[in-house]
Amino acid sequence: MIKLSISLLLTVSGVLLVVLFLFTIYILVQRKREIRFAEVRDTFLQNSAQHWYNYLINDEIFSVVLVPRGRSQVAAIETIFSSYLKSISNEKVEHKIKEFSNVYLKKFYEKDLSSKRWSIRMNALYRIADFRIEALLDTCQQFEKTKISEEEYFQLLKIYSVFQPELFIEKIEESSVSYSESEYRRLFALLEDDVFIRLFEDFNSWTTKIQFAAIDTAAVKRNMQYIDQLKKLLTHEMPEIKIRALKGLYEIGVIDEIDPYVPFVTSDMWEIRLMVAKIFQHVPLNYTYAYLEQLLQDENWWVRSQAAKTIVEKREGIAKLQQFLESSNDPYAIEMAQETIVRKRGSK
Amino acid sequence: MKVFLDFCMWFFGGFILFYMLIVIVSYCAMFVIAMIAMRKRYKLDPSEYDDAHIDAFYSKPVSLLVPAYNEEIGVVDTVYSLLNLRYPQTEIIIINDGSTDSTLQTVIEHFRMKPVDKIVRTNIPTKQVKQIYESEIYKNCILVDKENGGKADALNVGINVSQYPYFCSIDGDSILDEKSLLRVMKPIILSDGEVIAAGGNIRIANGAKMQLGSVTEAHLPNNHLVIMQIIEYARAFLMGRIALSKYNLVLIISGAFSVFSKEWAVEAGGYSTDIIGEDMELVVNIHRLIRKKKEKKRIEFVPDPVCWTEAPQSLGVLRNQRRRWHQGLFESLWKHKTMTLNPKYGLIGLLSFPYFWLVECLGPLVELGGYIYIVVAFFLGKIYYEVAIILLLLFVIYGVIFSIASILFEAWILNTYPRPRDLLRMILLAFTEIFWYRPLTLFWRCEGLLRFVLRRSDWGNMKRVGIGEKENSI
Repeated sequence: MIKLSISLLLTVSGVLLVVLFLFTIYILVQRKREIRFAEVRDTFLQNSAQHWYNYLINDEIFSVVLVPRGRSQVAAIETIFSSYLKSISNEKVEHKIKEFSNVYLKKFYEKDLSSKRWSIRMNALYRIADFRIEALLDTCQQFEKTKISEEEYFQLLKIYSVFQPELFIEKIEESSVSYSESEYRRLFALLEDDVFIRLFEDFNSWTTKIQFAAIDTAAVKRNMQYIDQLKKLLTHEMPEIKIRALKGLYEIGVIDEIDPYVPFVTSDMWEIRLMVAKIFQHVPLNYTYAYLEQLLQDENWWVRSQAAKTIVEKREGIAKLQQFLESSNDPYAIEMAQETIVRKRGSK
Repeated sequence: MKVFLDFCMWFFGGFILFYMLIVIVSYCAMFVIAMIAMRKRYKLDPSEYDDAHIDAFYSKPVSLLVPAYNEEIGVVDTVYSLLNLRYPQTEIIIINDGSTDSTLQTVIEHFRMKPVDKIVRTNIPTKQVKQIYESEIYKNCILVDKENGGKADALNVGINVSQYPYFCSIDGDSILDEKSLLRVMKPIILSDGEVIAAGGNIRIANGAKMQLGSVTEAHLPNNHLVIMQIIEYARAFLMGRIALSKYNLVLIISGAFSVFSKEWAVEAGGYSTDIIGEDMELVVNIHRLIRKKKEKKRIEFVPDPVCWTEAPQSLGVLRNQRRRWHQGLFESLWKHKTMTLNPKYGLIGLLSFPYFWLVECLGPLVELGGYIYIVVAFFLGKIYYEVAIILLLLFVIYGVIFSIASILFEAWILNTYPRPRDLLRMILLAFTEIFWYRPLTLFWRCEGLLRFVLRRSDWGNMKRVGIGEKENSI
């Protein structure tokens, strides 16, 4: 038995070594190919960079030199477009990139979408969204019907959100896949304002993840249009929604009345009290001081700390805190007020 | 006497063979899992993915903790590499753990630190904080001067001082890529907090070209000892980390660069100050907590390279490091021995712990036994030759073939060392592994075990050259 094992192990080791040897050769050949690919790409990049600049920025006429011949040249164009899109925000440039991609890059990505390799398909989907290749929308819809991964579906949703918001909302509604909050935010961030507001109007019909993502997106878009939507949510039954709505209103930073916020000063949840203390940063101190003093004596450290910070940032803040020090007998509140005053003076 | 000797030889021979087969099979399984996972990402454009998270809107703020004990040479460079990170919201907290050199002065002068009064919430009890400073140049940079209490204690102080929901611990000698933090935070951001701790793939910096604290090009160094460590890291990465992470079985994420949710780390008691492997200890404690609270949380390993670290260049330093690592591993496993095979802890107890005990912790003992067996067998004569040869062949498969497979697979997918010459050099060196590097490290790891048993902990610190100097010297 042992003899058999020795020969068996020898065979196994031998076979494995041969396989690894072949694999090494494959990798080395592959490397050579990659180097050649990179050379062609870099040459094209070098030779055409000026033409691209002239075409995209200087409004010069389109030159045939720019039309890609082969994959390596497409790779070069992708690099150029990505860097332009990332570094400058200019509608004219975006439009030109879109136009060019829809005509000359379309066929490459169409082919990529039918690739067997997941990563190639994903790259194609990224580009379709980035370069706004609307001409491939139908192909994308066909692609959706094939067996695709969750990641690919997510990219498709992103594409729909740009080209066909109606379809996007429909898909979100019927989608069986549940994404994470941050993924929903990535989807909503691209939506036009009117579509986004519509999403908000059906607020209660969405899942909590979508609801949270919608509130956070509204906060980041910093659009006055969303203030009313967020205020409506302050009476929502779910505390998490209330907290997020308060956070969103704080982020937008425009507080036109304090009445809706006053009841929250005595909320049972410290997170809500903390948010109110933060929101009062956007309101003159004479309207809010009474409430902030109450929050300065809160049982929660974070709330006390935020209330002190809010007060001290105001013009007459330090004087108010000093007045408070003289009259108060709450040791925790006094400690917080003292430390905040010292810090403020130190930073001046 | 002869009968007894015969019995021993057959028994140990059989035992070691059986053990080696188990190890080889489990490594094969992990290798296949890793291959499938990594293969999918081949040729995927990483920039698309990285960039999506740069916006503050998608990311979560992170406090970066830099514990420093006598790091006057490297600390400034480390802080610069942190300032270089592409991440929207961070704060840098340097914790001077009662250094006896001029670490404190260096940091104060270099970053124009000014003393501030700040109330620190003591979430985790620590040694006394002497003074907190804030930089006048970089608003998000804080220095904490405290009494000496060890690295774990320094990190705990950092956690107390930090104001963000996530913290990242950074070793003084780590060199980060500008995308390091983005990459390691990716699973946390994308999972909406289901991932509560994440660590990344650590690379060896020796031989890499650096510019402004970032690695621009990797070349294989000339030192064979370092190349062997590079191969070892690639192996550990492909035959371990990825597969374990897929099933939430990770017990070790490197302390050199890993992110934790502050809430969970604090609830798990922070870093333990009475143990050598404080990073593993924290991960195990968090796993315990997850089970206790019955929550669906994960600890993940990120396959992207996130951090470059200086590998020991001499046998003496490497010996110290390996001894310490192994002692730490044993200590942690021993401390939590009740989790082993305990169904209460799910797969962590049933799979992870037995794996770490058998393969990682006690493995060196058995393997070293195997080497001794081979030597003894050749002296004892013919009848044991066969067992010895089988054992040797298993060592070849285990040592040489797995190493070469890892090198090639790494080259195929990640292409860290693009020059064909480097690739061939690594492969050639892998053939020599079982003759010198493997036995040496086995011996050191066994020393670590022994030191744990004898409760010795006078382990030395690694001698640093400092990143700045390395930039010139490599």
